[in-house]
Amino acid sequence: MPATTESNQGSFLGRISIRRNQVMSMDGSHDQELEDLELFQKHVGDRFSELPADDLLSIAWLRRLLDEFLCCEAEFKAVVLMGRDPSHLAKPPLDRLLPDLLDRVVKSLDVCNAVTLGLDALKNLQRLAEIAVVALHHSPLGDGQVRRAKKALAALLAAMLHEDATAKATERSRSFGRRQGTATAKASPRSFSCTMARNWSASKQIHAMLSNLAAPRGNESSGLAQPVYVMGSVLVFVMWALVAAVPCQERNGLGTHFPLPRQVGWAQPMVSLQEKIAEEWKKKEKKGTVGLLDEIQRMEKLGHSLVEFADSFQFPAEADRLEEVKKQVQELSDICTRMQDGLEPLQLQIREVFHRIVRSRNEFLVVLDQAGKLSTPPL
Amino acid sequence: MDLSSRKSDVERIEGNKEELVQILEDMDVFLLTVGANGGEDVPDCVYVLPKLLEHMLDNYNRGRNKFGEDETYDDSFLDVANRIYKLSTCCSCSITLILDQTSSVLEKAMSLLEKDLCSILEDPKTQDKSFSFGSHSDLCVIFDTDSPNPPQQEQDHDHQDFFTNLSTNKISILSKIATTMIVVGYETECCMAFANFRRSAFKTALQRYGYGSMRMDDVSKMSWESLEKEITTWNQVVRHCTTMLLNAERRLYDSIFPNQPFISQSLFSDLVRHVIIHLLNFAQGAILTKWSTEKLFKFLDMYETLREDIIGYSCLEPCASEVTYEISTAKDRIVKAIVAMFCDLKNSIKNDNERIPVANGAVHPLTRYVMNYLKYACEYKDTLEQVFEQGQSVNITRVDIYNDKSIEEVEDVGTPKDSPFALQLMSIMDLLDENVEKKSNLYRDLALRYIFLMNNGRYIVQKVKGCSELHDMMGDNWCRRRQSGLRLYHKCYQRETWSKVLQCLKLEGLQGTRNKVSKQLVKERCKCFNSMFEEIHKTQSTWMVVDEQLQSELRVSISSLVIPAYRSFVGRFKQHLESSRHIDKYIKYHPEDIELLLDDLFDGNAMTMTRKRI
Repeated sequence: MPATTESNQGSFLGRISIRRNQVMSMDGSHDQELEDLELFQKHVGDRFSELPADDLLSIAWLRRLLDEFLCCEAEFKAVVLMGRDPSHLAKPPLDRLLPDLLDRVVKSLDVCNAVTLGLDALKNLQRLAEIAVVALHHSPLGDGQVRRAKKALAALLAAMLHEDATAKATERSRSFGRRQGTATAKASPRSFSCTMARNWSASKQIHAMLSNLAAPRGNESSGLAQPVYVMGSVLVFVMWALVAAVPCQERNGLGTHFPLPRQVGWAQPMVSLQEKIAEEWKKKEKKGTVGLLDEIQRMEKLGHSLVEFADSFQFPAEADRLEEVKKQVQELSDICTRMQDGLEPLQLQIREVFHRIVRSRNEFLVVLDQAGKLSTPPL
Repeated sequence: MDLSSRKSDVERIEGNKEELVQILEDMDVFLLTVGANGGEDVPDCVYVLPKLLEHMLDNYNRGRNKFGEDETYDDSFLDVANRIYKLSTCCSCSITLILDQTSSVLEKAMSLLEKDLCSILEDPKTQDKSFSFGSHSDLCVIFDTDSPNPPQQEQDHDHQDFFTNLSTNKISILSKIATTMIVVGYETECCMAFANFRRSAFKTALQRYGYGSMRMDDVSKMSWESLEKEITTWNQVVRHCTTMLLNAERRLYDSIFPNQPFISQSLFSDLVRHVIIHLLNFAQGAILTKWSTEKLFKFLDMYETLREDIIGYSCLEPCASEVTYEISTAKDRIVKAIVAMFCDLKNSIKNDNERIPVANGAVHPLTRYVMNYLKYACEYKDTLEQVFEQGQSVNITRVDIYNDKSIEEVEDVGTPKDSPFALQLMSIMDLLDENVEKKSNLYRDLALRYIFLMNNGRYIVQKVKGCSELHDMMGDNWCRRRQSGLRLYHKCYQRETWSKVLQCLKLEGLQGTRNKVSKQLVKERCKCFNSMFEEIHKTQSTWMVVDEQLQSELRVSISSLVIPAYRSFVGRFKQHLESSRHIDKYIKYHPEDIELLLDDLFDGNAMTMTRKRI
């Protein structure tokens, strides 16, 4: 840009501001709208950057994540629906983008259900861990208690592996009963089969949700297409994080690549979180583990360590070994407490997300319906 | 402590009931006093009992005994285990070694018990009961046996408690095992086994009754034909579940944990929550589909299913509030959907704007559709009343209803009801009326217009009168008004079509010059009458009046107008034509002919005169 004199600039800017005033006087609400849309994106970025980076994927973190999601969703609805002429929503590109989003929304309902079931499975793991804690707390520690703890921990570790294995496996004999092979997935006393529909796959669902999720280009990037894209990204990210954390049916092959724009302000916090989680996922996927939920990861480590102890246990055990074990048992007990306090509220929250999503989808459909009627004039 | 003597001790005691009782008593005494005497004097029983337990365990594990077969043996086993547990918790240092052994044998005992618990719960007989839901007779079995307290003894019987299919004997074993495990501190293992097996059993049972897991995504995209069937199944499954299965489950827990109500309740409520949400997810999925009018009745069915008191919420703590919330959320959504469907119906009526009138003035398909719809809807009248009460704050605005004249009822007798649902009905009827009227304006022939209005009006009134709920809703006054409206149309029709004809048959005005009847004028009148009549006959025979009574009313009224007039005209003026040639050309018809020809009217057939010419 060539150097301009002060006066030139002044007049140039002066012209711009006049034009702006003209625009404002014609359509003052339009600027307000644009501001709202921008604010929405900024808020999304803010919210995700406020999520703590440590304690990633712990129960508490997930609960925060869901809270932020609900806030984003509420703001999105306000920005897109309130005070808006319904016919705007029926115009391209929204006539394609909104139904896409709503379809994604319905898919996420299935994810919510799967995650709820996964949390049920985690509750079982918690109970197994509690058995071990109670047994190992016993003083003096005898053979019987150690065996009991070992059995519970072995079941715990096996369940962790199995929960991640495909739902096709029917032989989960951690129980002692004789099994006649039947087609229905068998229960065992220490776990229960996932009950999403057959052939449902969390990873495929997420993958499907990601399809068609593309940033609007060109002149579509102003206007409502952008917040719709942002909301879609937020939704898929949250669902993806949940699936990564909580054992759900068929998570193998969960994609770690996320098509989020890297340079854009609102997306950056999500991108950095996503990258961290993806890294963890890749590490663990090789080992075949139960889920990135922080509490479960720690439980797994402790489980292995305590099983080792149990294997080598002979009555009476040495004092320092016992001290060590005591610390680990305490840690395990703390995890159980966190799960005890957190799993139930998390489940309720997911259900809340479920209901909110259904409600919002319906509101959108009502408006779209109105818009459809407005665009086809009566005869 | 000689091992071999211990062994023989053990075997001796095992076989001898009195010795067993004695040793248990010794132990009890020891346990009471162990605190006091500081564990100095450790009696024999402390060493023998663990060995005894070990021995009994051995028997079980090697299959020499089977838990559940010998009640006495089992009870003894449990008693011994019980004492061992108490021993293991008493903190007397001098017997630490014993404590380790006791804890060890106790663990083994609990393992055995857990194993047996699981094998009973997992028993193929419990799980794989082949019960087919499909056959009608089975359905009758389910829904006829309504007795609230089926006798426990009948648990082996196929009908009652077929679901749990656990005999009294098995239940008692389970109860004993459970009690022991709980007392010994193995409550978690015990509860986990129950929770997991029962959940699985429930899932299987539901699957057998046709309800499996589904994806919200799939359900929301189902075609209506498939979804309809699924909803029917769902209704049956839910009712069956809440009336039979869950009650049976409750009884099961109560019998297994008679002394631990907290555990029983907690297990039950957890299961209920899981099952109910599982079932509700389908309903939520169904509600995701488009809310169009034809879905009304199935949605009403779903609402009715959810309206039933599910279990009695007092048993559901601590999950009661969550379950209640889930159910009422689902119901609310259904209410919204139903209200929207009525709006959809109203919009369809408003937007039914074809420009081509129905052929022959017949009843319009929309009239039929709406009236049949409303009639069917009134079968669900009570439910719909509830729905609209609930939905009142949501969608219906009284404003658009207040604009209807139908609200201006003053008299008490025959006043239509003014419940929200009744107002909906009223508003739909008004819209239908408007629409019919609009459509009638498409007919250029005024007479046909009135026939159309009569046809449709009649159809509507008949439908209302034929359905007592609908009649109640609309009220007598409404019916009377409609009927007087119909009479008005009738008069208009008559005037429109027949007044000119009657003009031809007037007895006056036939005088020509010199006040004599003009032959010419008479001839003209006859020609006029004939051509008009023939024209009317040709046209109006193709018109349709399906309602037989209306048809005959019309014919009768026309006859009573035309025939006497014709008769008197002919009677009066025939003579003047007697001398003419071709009198038949002018007086073509006998009055009886006219009568017959009038019978052709409104038959919807194209008739030609010549065929009927006598």
